[in-house]
Amino acid sequence: MNRRWLGPLLSALLILGVGAALVISIRNSPIFNPKILVSGLIGSEKEEFFRDERVQRALDRLGIQVRYEKVGSREISEKLRNEPYDFGFPAGVPAAEKIRQDWKLSTQGEDVFFTPMTVATWQPIADLLATNGVARLVEGHYHLEMARFLELVKEGKRWNQLENNQVFDANRSILINSTDIRRSNSAAMYLALASYVANGAAVVQNRTQADALLPLVTELFVKQGLTGYSSEEPFEDYLVMGMGKAPLVMIYESQFLAEAARTDGSIRPEMVLMYPDPAIYTKHVLVPLTENGKRLGEALATDEELRRLAVEYGFRNTESAYFQEFFKSQEVPADLLNVADTPTFEMLEYMIQSIQSSMQ
Amino acid sequence: MQPWRWLALCLFASALALSGCFGGEEKLTVLAGSEVRDLEPLLDRIASDTGIRLEFEYVGTLEGADRLMSGQIVDLAWFSHAKYLTLLTAVNNRIRAQEKIMLSPVVMGVKESKARAWGWIDAPDVTWRDIADKAAAGELRFAMTNPASSNSGFSALVGVASALAQTGDALRVEEINTEALRRFFAGQVLTAGSSGWLADAYVANQDRIDGLINYESVLLQLNQDNQLAEKLYLIYPKEGIITADYPLLLINPDKREQYQKLVDYLRKPEMQRAIMERTLRRPVNLQVETGDRFPKQVLVELPFPNDVQVLDRLIDGYLDQQRRPAHTVYVLDVSGSMDGNRLRDLRTALLGLTGLDTSLTGQFARFRSREIITMVPFSADVEEVTNFTVDDPTGQGSDMGAIRQAIEDLTAGGGTAIYTALRKAYETVDAAYPTDPQRYYSIVLMSDGENNEGPSYQEFAQWHRSLPPELQNVPVFTILFGDANQGEMSGIAELTGGRLFDAQKEPLSTIFKEIRGYQ
Repeated sequence: MNRRWLGPLLSALLILGVGAALVISIRNSPIFNPKILVSGLIGSEKEEFFRDERVQRALDRLGIQVRYEKVGSREISEKLRNEPYDFGFPAGVPAAEKIRQDWKLSTQGEDVFFTPMTVATWQPIADLLATNGVARLVEGHYHLEMARFLELVKEGKRWNQLENNQVFDANRSILINSTDIRRSNSAAMYLALASYVANGAAVVQNRTQADALLPLVTELFVKQGLTGYSSEEPFEDYLVMGMGKAPLVMIYESQFLAEAARTDGSIRPEMVLMYPDPAIYTKHVLVPLTENGKRLGEALATDEELRRLAVEYGFRNTESAYFQEFFKSQEVPADLLNVADTPTFEMLEYMIQSIQSSMQ
Repeated sequence: MQPWRWLALCLFASALALSGCFGGEEKLTVLAGSEVRDLEPLLDRIASDTGIRLEFEYVGTLEGADRLMSGQIVDLAWFSHAKYLTLLTAVNNRIRAQEKIMLSPVVMGVKESKARAWGWIDAPDVTWRDIADKAAAGELRFAMTNPASSNSGFSALVGVASALAQTGDALRVEEINTEALRRFFAGQVLTAGSSGWLADAYVANQDRIDGLINYESVLLQLNQDNQLAEKLYLIYPKEGIITADYPLLLINPDKREQYQKLVDYLRKPEMQRAIMERTLRRPVNLQVETGDRFPKQVLVELPFPNDVQVLDRLIDGYLDQQRRPAHTVYVLDVSGSMDGNRLRDLRTALLGLTGLDTSLTGQFARFRSREIITMVPFSADVEEVTNFTVDDPTGQGSDMGAIRQAIEDLTAGGGTAIYTALRKAYETVDAAYPTDPQRYYSIVLMSDGENNEGPSYQEFAQWHRSLPPELQNVPVFTILFGDANQGEMSGIAELTGGRLFDAQKEPLSTIFKEIRGYQ
């Protein structure tokens, strides 16, 4: 072998390689592209949104790279202590308020998007509930009559005791599957809604009112047994294990819509989304702990492309026209008129603590 | 050396480093239940498609919980379900994410002729109560794993107890119906520490057993395998069932990216189909066509208790009150070669079973109320045979004290007459059986050396074949320890329908606990 050319050739290759590496690293350096890495904790229902490459590219355009972990929204405040995070992004105002209080923050969080609480069910169950006066078909979608539903729970009714039931002969209490109220916002919003209804369509304002309705609303959670820690869990039970495991599931509207938008057949024709009456909305509030966290919140709220991408994951925001257009085939109600208020943070925590104490 | 040679060397080194980054497989350690062993044939495919090589270390769920609580470093965990684990706060704190990968309900398979005779074919209204009635009447003898050792038995216990409580909600401590459960478990004539071994044991004992409780996947596999004289008909009781959902658990937070990649890959339709075809478990991705593998009916899922106390009380109740009580004969080698460390290890292992092992596995493996323990220590001949009956369900009573004393008193010396001692063990069972035929009899044989006194293996085997069937059915669980003869020890296990446990690879105390699942 002629070694005389081998040395120079290898040297040339090395120089080329080093040069290329240099160019790449300079292009990625903060001087040319001042990018920030923002890390935080999110409720699991927003994971698919953040995983979308289009979202990552849009954020990249704004110089932001996001690193996140998903946990139950109500656990975010505590778990933020594990590492130096920039933000917490829970699925509700109470969970956001918990972070603000625990961390003694003066800044308001950024209301990035909102979504109504809904009940995922199955066509045969929706029909059965309609027959029994618990559900009602209104302009192409079902309303779940919450007052009537709570009566069934109060009576301890089981599925096999409903009238004209040819479809779900189960000796199980009629309950809505939810998440663990200690850990997750969607269960807390369910409690907010149920307490409003049980209090005679009025928000619970003091402990006397709360104590009167706690025996009933406690049953909604304790009777379920083991529940998921994060909102994706009961929804996954619904999608994967079907009607026998999950006849009724309390989820965010966005979860169902995002799944329907995937058009991979995971939402089948017999799957039905019911809207509780009264309705209740939850706001997804990004609570920043650092300047970088604040920048992410602002980007998500103000950037049009990001707002429209959020719509495609079923979240509602100021892009309401695009929302209606995108989900035209789903017959999504534009506005829910009869809306329950959420109790104050302190009242909600009081009720949650009480329910928690009867779980052990 | 000339300068360019240095350069060449550098280049070569960096090429090596690069290939390490891009070409190699990354290894992830997995603490796994033996149930997922059937995925092993897919591991090569997973590695070549994802670049992630999964390395399984098999443990029981409770053992896994013990290890996670004690901080064992591991990347992932994978059991048939994680419900018990998430209820243990210390374990739950280590679970960073969990995603279902496949499904299999725990159901009952009964011989088709029996199902037909009882009108259970195509009958959607058969309940756990119906099954309990047949069991209590002595018409249905079935096999089920030990709920303290295996997830299929545990899921079945939770399901049956919830169904028999008749409340329609998650079970509470005060709702556990002990009497109904006792009637149900009167029919359980075969137990095991693992679902796979139970299926094999059913095949071996199918002439005297009418069915078994196991994962749907295991029952379907049995029906496919042509080892059954009569096919099993699967009963999905009307009150509901508990479904194992095989969540892949992320333990090491630094492996989040790899974990997500794996989950995405495992949940793709192609992979889900491959898993379904290989394991007969149901896919979690509903784009996969299941054909006519599984019945189409709606499976009502029973609520799972939210309180670890309920689960512990269920297992305690099963062991102390509901199951057929056990009579266990320990045949223990105390020959001269056991002197020193070996005898010390044996004492520690046995003392652990008297309640001194306070780990999770230790608590559930201890000797239980109603149980009879016979100790047959031997050297050149059988030394003293002693019987102990456990009465005190707390495990703190004088009965346990007496067992501990006998263990402390073991001393080593003399030759090794394995088969003299083993025959003595069978004679003990023979003497006890006529007055107490409902007990669950089994023998544990621990030896650290070759048989050098008394009858030979061949003579024993011949003698064993002459025994009446009820004695032949008493299994011997053999423990390979020290310099024991592997051929003979596995021969005894096979001959008697027992199982060989290897204490040359695992600590003696772990083995003794594991065997408790089979007693």
